[in-house]
Amino acid sequence: MADAIIATRDLRFAYGDILALQDVSVDVPPGSIGLVGANGAGKTTLLKVLLGILRPQRGEAWLLGQRVNRATLEVRSRVGYMPETACLPPDQTAADFLIYAAELAGLPTRAARQRASDVLTLVGLHEERFRYMGGFSTGMAQRAKLAQAIVHDPDLVLLDEPTAGLDPEGREEMLALIGRLGSFGINAIISSHMLPDIERTCDWVMMLDGGRLLRAGPLTELSVTGEVTLEVLDDPAPVLAAVAKHGGSAHIEGRTIVVETERGDPFDLIRDALAETGAALRRLGPRRTTLEDIFLAGEQIAPASSDIKTELDEESAKGDRT
Amino acid sequence: MTEGVIFDLGYQPHEGERLGRAGAVRALYRDGLRRVLGLRRRARSKVLPVLLLSIAVLPALFFVGISVFTGEIGLDEVEFFTHAQYFGMTSAIAMIFTALAAGELLVPDRTFGTLAVYASRPLTMEDYLVGRAASLITVVFGFMYLPQLVLFLGRAWVSTEGFGSFVAGNLGTLWRTAAASAVYFVAFAPLAFVISAYAKRASFAAATFIGLMFISSAVPQALTDAGFKPAAFLALQQHPGLVRDWIMGENTNRWIPESAGYGPIPSLIIILLVAALTIFLVVRRYRRLT
Repeated sequence: MADAIIATRDLRFAYGDILALQDVSVDVPPGSIGLVGANGAGKTTLLKVLLGILRPQRGEAWLLGQRVNRATLEVRSRVGYMPETACLPPDQTAADFLIYAAELAGLPTRAARQRASDVLTLVGLHEERFRYMGGFSTGMAQRAKLAQAIVHDPDLVLLDEPTAGLDPEGREEMLALIGRLGSFGINAIISSHMLPDIERTCDWVMMLDGGRLLRAGPLTELSVTGEVTLEVLDDPAPVLAAVAKHGGSAHIEGRTIVVETERGDPFDLIRDALAETGAALRRLGPRRTTLEDIFLAGEQIAPASSDIKTELDEESAKGDRT
Repeated sequence: MTEGVIFDLGYQPHEGERLGRAGAVRALYRDGLRRVLGLRRRARSKVLPVLLLSIAVLPALFFVGISVFTGEIGLDEVEFFTHAQYFGMTSAIAMIFTALAAGELLVPDRTFGTLAVYASRPLTMEDYLVGRAASLITVVFGFMYLPQLVLFLGRAWVSTEGFGSFVAGNLGTLWRTAAASAVYFVAFAPLAFVISAYAKRASFAAATFIGLMFISSAVPQALTDAGFKPAAFLALQQHPGLVRDWIMGENTNRWIPESAGYGPIPSLIIILLVAALTIFLVVRRYRRLT
């Protein structure tokens, strides 16, 4: 938890009888973090709990090392938020609104003006800065929303469905912008149900389903299946038989041979099988799955509950003492 | 010839001071003033506030102009209306201005979703309401007091006893008009604020407030005429006028509470009670919203 930008323990939140978050416990490292889940999975609720807008009925959340419920305003001064819904006053120019948004975060007026100008340039709205936002296209409005979220130079920005409603070109631009946030020193939580967007921009992922944390971890680890795939130019059957003969476990999916890696180094096994059969290799590599596959598989990974309970107890004890 | 070089400094982090909540509330206050007066907004946003303020100040300017003219041609000093009577002229316009201002301060933030931006900033819901209320106090009090000040300074300017002597001898008028302006603010603004806190459109909030003010004169008048005297307490539009006359030491009208046998103190208490109730309702509404 020491290096985590976000930590939650047993978070629970319900809207009346509807349970939106249930026992969410996770430590999130710095970087670009994906928060994925279907509509209604609890993504926006989690973001609002992290901002201190909603108070969880049970559990605790820490942002940037501070307990959200006890230091809400301190946390908010270091965090930016891009809501999914519209939030731009149509009768204000982009420049005026950005200056105002920066001042609301506590920046002095002169610094707010400078930051607004810089950030509008960064998001590609410099030419449009004196236009009233009521006339903005969806893509421009999304960029203005991102700009207001980072105008006060936060350490962490929470982006709720940043590509919602964008055409392919606008989506590409938004994803490119999000991809640059890391180089600005801004950590990002990107909430989306567009799994390809998360795969492109994030290196660590949290999956929510029905208010529960389904999986959490580095994208590379989540996508590893423990299998190697290969394709040969000719009939794959002899290669499959050779793999089995050398003690490997494999099966065919179309023209692709899938070798399981439970026993030994599969690449040695495949080399021997290819040498024995004389088959020409077309493609070889570890099999990776997509976020969509993982999500649909719906595998439940329980968090390291014993560690979490211990840390939670320690934190609670500290809290009680103070 | 010198050659210019453009340096791409990239992303520049903010390493200066941060003003925290106080800075945020000040920003809210300034934004509220700009919003109500239509500053840094489209031209059409400026039309109504400028028009209403012009109508309110025009009688004072007219008085000054006529007085200067009559002074030039050697006629005696003229007085078209007293400060209390001038309040009577501007109060209806002030009511419309208050209705528009309260709607403009609260409704767009909800309808355009800007509350989500405030919710992510180092602000509490109370800070938000304080910032907006401070803007409303400034513009409504200013709207009531500015015409009075113009009239006072105009009278001082055309006075035969001299500007300084007139001001020194009539300082009581300055604080009495300020107090009466404050009474109008407390009587009108919280009611307009609470209606705006619930309305979905600013124009609907303004129309509802003005309608309520009209009904709160007509219905109590009918009921008190029919003999039901306590109905005079419901005459919300009449209370500030009665209290104002009391403060100014004049009697400009036959107010409904007065004709029902009540003095200015019950009217003042009702103004304060209604204000307290409306503030409670606004806070409750925004606690639920956020």
